[in-house]
Amino acid sequence: MVREDVVGSTRTLQWKCVESRVDSKRLYYGRFVLSPLMKGQADTIGIAIRRALLGEIEGTCITRATSENVLHEYSTIAGIEESVHEILLNLKDIVLRSNLYGVRNASICVRGPKYITAQDIISPPSVEIVDTTQHIANLTEPINLCIELQIKRDRGYRMKSTNDSHDGSYPIDIVSMPVRNANHSIHSYGNGNEKQEILFIEIWTNGSLTPKEALYEASRNLIDLLIPFLHAEEEDMNFKENENRWNLPPFSFQDKFTNFKKNKKGIPLTCIFIDQSELSSRTYNCLKRSNIHTLLDLLSHSQEDLMKMEYFRTEDVKQILSTVQKHFAINLLNKKL
Amino acid sequence: MLQNGNEGMSTIPGFSQIQFEGFCRFINQGLTEEFHKFQKIEDRDQEIEFQLFVETYQLVEPLITERDAVYESLTYSSELYVPAVLIWKTGRNMQEQTVFIGNIPIMNSFGTSIVNGIYRIVINQIVQSPGIYYRSELEHNGVSVYTSTIISDWGGRSELEIDRKARIWARVSRKQKISILVLSSAMGSNIREILDNVCYPEIFLSFPNDKEKKKIGSKENAILEFYQQFACVGGDPVFSESLCKELQKKFFQQRCELGKIGRQNLNRRLNLDIPQNNTFLLPRDLLAAVDHLIGMKLGMGTLDDMSHLKNKRIRSVADLLQDQFGLALVRLENTVRGTICGAIRHKLIPTPQNLVTSTSLTTTYESFFGLHPLSQVLDRTNPLTQIVHGRKWSYLGPGGLTGRTASFRIRDIHPSHYGRICPIDTSEGINVGLMGSLAIHVKVGYWGSIESPFYGLSERSKEAQMVYLSPNRDEYYMVAAGNSLALNRDIQEQQVVPARYRQEFLTIAWEEIHLRSIFPFQYFSIGASLIPFIEHNDANRALMSSNMQRQAVPLSRSEKCIVGTGLEGQTALDSGVSVIAECKGKIIYTDTQKIFLSSNGDTLSIPLVMYQRSNKNTCMNQKTQVQRGKYIKKGQILAGGAATAGGELALGKNVLVAYMPWEGYNFEDAVLISERLVYKDIYTSFHIRKYEIQTHVTSQGPERITKEIPHLEARLLRNLDRNGIVMLGSWIETGDILVGKLTPQTASESSYAPEDRLLRAILGIQVSTSKETSLRLPIGGRGRVIDVRWIHRRGVSNSNPERIRVYISQKREIKVGDKVAGRHGNKGIISKILSRQDMPYLQDGTPVDMVFNPLGVPSRMNVGQIFECSLGLAGDLLKKHYRIGPFDERYEQEASRKLVFSELYEASKKTKNPWVFEPEYPGKSRIFDGRTGDLFEQPVLIGKSYILKLIHQVDDKIHGRSSGHYALVTQQPLRGRAKQGGQRVGEMEVWALEGFGVAHILQEMLTYKSDHIRARQEVLGAMIIGATVPNPESAPESFRLLVRELRSLSLELNHFLVSEKNFQMDRKEA
Repeated sequence: MVREDVVGSTRTLQWKCVESRVDSKRLYYGRFVLSPLMKGQADTIGIAIRRALLGEIEGTCITRATSENVLHEYSTIAGIEESVHEILLNLKDIVLRSNLYGVRNASICVRGPKYITAQDIISPPSVEIVDTTQHIANLTEPINLCIELQIKRDRGYRMKSTNDSHDGSYPIDIVSMPVRNANHSIHSYGNGNEKQEILFIEIWTNGSLTPKEALYEASRNLIDLLIPFLHAEEEDMNFKENENRWNLPPFSFQDKFTNFKKNKKGIPLTCIFIDQSELSSRTYNCLKRSNIHTLLDLLSHSQEDLMKMEYFRTEDVKQILSTVQKHFAINLLNKKL
Repeated sequence: MLQNGNEGMSTIPGFSQIQFEGFCRFINQGLTEEFHKFQKIEDRDQEIEFQLFVETYQLVEPLITERDAVYESLTYSSELYVPAVLIWKTGRNMQEQTVFIGNIPIMNSFGTSIVNGIYRIVINQIVQSPGIYYRSELEHNGVSVYTSTIISDWGGRSELEIDRKARIWARVSRKQKISILVLSSAMGSNIREILDNVCYPEIFLSFPNDKEKKKIGSKENAILEFYQQFACVGGDPVFSESLCKELQKKFFQQRCELGKIGRQNLNRRLNLDIPQNNTFLLPRDLLAAVDHLIGMKLGMGTLDDMSHLKNKRIRSVADLLQDQFGLALVRLENTVRGTICGAIRHKLIPTPQNLVTSTSLTTTYESFFGLHPLSQVLDRTNPLTQIVHGRKWSYLGPGGLTGRTASFRIRDIHPSHYGRICPIDTSEGINVGLMGSLAIHVKVGYWGSIESPFYGLSERSKEAQMVYLSPNRDEYYMVAAGNSLALNRDIQEQQVVPARYRQEFLTIAWEEIHLRSIFPFQYFSIGASLIPFIEHNDANRALMSSNMQRQAVPLSRSEKCIVGTGLEGQTALDSGVSVIAECKGKIIYTDTQKIFLSSNGDTLSIPLVMYQRSNKNTCMNQKTQVQRGKYIKKGQILAGGAATAGGELALGKNVLVAYMPWEGYNFEDAVLISERLVYKDIYTSFHIRKYEIQTHVTSQGPERITKEIPHLEARLLRNLDRNGIVMLGSWIETGDILVGKLTPQTASESSYAPEDRLLRAILGIQVSTSKETSLRLPIGGRGRVIDVRWIHRRGVSNSNPERIRVYISQKREIKVGDKVAGRHGNKGIISKILSRQDMPYLQDGTPVDMVFNPLGVPSRMNVGQIFECSLGLAGDLLKKHYRIGPFDERYEQEASRKLVFSELYEASKKTKNPWVFEPEYPGKSRIFDGRTGDLFEQPVLIGKSYILKLIHQVDDKIHGRSSGHYALVTQQPLRGRAKQGGQRVGEMEVWALEGFGVAHILQEMLTYKSDHIRARQEVLGAMIIGATVPNPESAPESFRLLVRELRSLSLELNHFLVSEKNFQMDRKEA
């Protein structure tokens, strides 16, 4: 009903890049416009896209550096102006562009005196160095410097894990956030009750991907997250149920459970806690002690299981059955107990 | 450095200058003064005479460098040589030799001394000037009693008082008072002299009765009477020489030695003209003092204000070191005398060097620097801390006050503190007002007075000249608080300025002003003058800020503040953390470790500090700021130190803040931060910890350092090299062994705990002959081993322990629980780290970095943070840095606000961001919730603030205990994190538990967590065999206490056993 309205009243949604700018090799800017949107839609898309841009986009960065004859991160190498730690920090900042999966190796092998920049990184073909002028270290003496690097594509940030490294390799904080900043703004127009909106999206990236690519990537990631909803809900539940069935073989209440599920559509059994079922405190404690917290947990136990519990008596089982019936309209009494 | 090269220009004096001047005074004058007190020594038969030629003493340049002294835990000192002569009077021959007297620790360029490898600083003590002070006190019946207090050079006090019956007493101890006549007779004057020399003889004559007349009849009687009262001895002591001596030692020397300053003050106060070198209290002084006292009673003369700064003086390094030197010389004299006697007795022919030992001087100074309360370990958290520490003053210490007994009046601010003592900077807590900082322009005068500079204004010369005035002088001048810029030039009538005159604030025409202050920051200490917009802050918060800036941790990449006061540069420069070019030249080579500088043909190698540990475990590091091949000028910064950026002090970072509530995560000053601060390493700091172990020699033999440690997991030993010491560069986690050590031990079975023995029997472990006493990394420590030092003590190798030090560096990102603070006393704890898309964001999409609680502002009255915040935003957008002096309000109404708004307006216009300045709510902006994209209900104050990360970090504090040691006596868990202690559950906490009826916790607490010792031990056994914890059979005492407490509320708590058969109750006492 609503869909027909939309189709009838507006043209198809269109997006356009209205401004694109390369401020530096590591700062791209792009502004996009999406229109026409119904009132409120711009906000829905805008915030989702902003959050996806900031949080969901993958980036490539150097995760580990290995070099021989380096004592530790806080040492220095004769003939290099920077300390090891500073070199690691410089490596952390290097912006890479790739679409790889898994870990790749790269290396720096130079002989001084030389001013080492990102240019000197010998990278696998799938990895591209965005800003070749990024400074790494300055060799002042004729010495050889060889650094083995590991490159990985990841999302978000991961601070240095504290793993041992006897081999002289040093982990680098992983910060793969190619989108520097994102913003959206909404411009509404139209008259009276037929208001329409235009969504503006501004994206700043670090150069490893263009704003346009970032927008594409973010939309795709967002859609990926929503794909489960495109499938029918029913199947989804069955899938979970099947899983349960495999895990817990003796299902005594299983049939009723399915019935019950059909009766009360929408409320998953995991959301009903046994606290809600007004059991006596004794029974309640018994159940809690054996890690039964929700109705689903309860139903997945056979009567024998229940009887095996410490201090559990037949009266209690009866009580449970009656309460469950009373509160959740599940007729369990005809079941052979 | 000590001389101000350009006299005409008034620059802020070097911040460490007070320390340098003090030390120079000691070296140049103090040594000579004390040497002159050294008399020639003769033996009993007067055959040998020992003498020092004190005019030509020599101090030798230290043999080791400062760096080596720190590295090897030595004292950075220079040797003192004096020519000495030994004369045989009988033989008429003499022997001359330059003797080595001892080592004097030398001050380095930070104003500190290095003693045993530790930087130590001697802080200035403020003591009451010796002299006489008159005051009146109201007695309980409303009669005012006049007393005069004579304060000696050593801080001893004696009081003269006049009571209602006009009798004059001298108070000699807390309880005893004696008649003034007795005292003056005991001091040697007879009644005739007394009566001749006083103005009111009738008062003197009126009060003694016959008995007393007899007492003052002769000196001996008076002394006897005095002694009786003073020492509170009964009976009838007989006059003797020893009694006289004791009195001399206990009373006269302590209470009556005035010193030069005391003599001067006494002469001035009592209008006497006793020569300067008469440093003892004379009977004449006493009589004059009494005359004055009677005058007071009759309403003549003025009372003294004890807390006025003119009545105080500074005992600086110079005085303290000089006192110690004098002490050492006395000790030396005694030893020399002893050795001469010994030599004569044994018919030896001594040489001067044989007589003199260097130990007395050396040990005196070592114990002074190590034990004296005013010699403190230099706090080196950050450069500001270092520099402020040297400018501290304290009322505490020997000859001073104590924190518990000091009155409120002495802690208070006094009008004479203007420009001398900072009214803001003082410690919090028990020592409030007793320790503080000197104002930035202060100079210490020759007599220990605190002098403050002023511009003298005179009609004749247009040029204002700078004068340093001591506190007793500037009271008589009219001192303008501002300068003529503050005048409203348009209107003739408004040519008036606020001025100080005799402790009052007046408004005076500009023409009548004698002096004016030279600098708006003149009144403040360094800490307080680093606070921008300080005039908008409540003094309490400014105090907290000046204390908290000293706790800021140097960050890995420092950043200048956008809004500052202009003093950052000099603070960084004077702190000595940066490397300054001592001469002009060309840079030949730079490196992380050194800089080579070519100047006038020779090459200087300047070493840099690399990842060094400070005594607060922060990391100090110098970074080259000059390029190779560049020419540099003298005084240029070659390398910046920790927490400096571009030669300025940079303690924190400029971050985007918003003042708004966010889901309660900023309740009670908690702070919400963005993950950007974590992954961008904005608040990342390095901490270097030192772990030390010593090897001793036990009765079973020496301890061994080895890798072969039995019964230990190989994982724990993986980082050890073949000597058993941790390898450089290895990553260490909690519990890992740093140094493997075995202590020999007699293998006796009985020494093990029973369960231990059982375990050994089960597992078949051999009883080893040694015990494992390795150095393990304690909880919370992890990191990279960056240095290992093996210090061999010199001297006899076996008796001295060897030390092994391991330095571990740790990188710490900001995390939940860390303390952050602004520069306005706005402090808080990180409560949550949000991802950047969740943070509130501005209209251009930028997520905020920190969210502060807006309720933290109004009640704390630190509005300066608001100004800083807004101006910071403007500065960030305009790429400008602001340096703002205090009290700009005197030029114009609301000057600060106008400045901030105009800058914001400009920033808004230039960057075309209308949201930066919106006239309806200037400074505030509408911002969005990052989670929903909704606009927040109200506009929110946003801006860039300079936020510091403080040294109070969770990593150092977090602690938990499952099991551990118990105190021997009380059988309670030990206290403190370092000892794996427990958390005290006090009375009120137990009440809370009882109130909520948490049965299991209570049961635990009342049984095996409590005083039920046997149950506690059973738990250990149960844990070892893996059984269930047994329930204790009897109730512990604490439970019985609870029962009795309930009984006192008329509630009986008991349990009964009811028999099933006959329902008989079997009562049992709980």
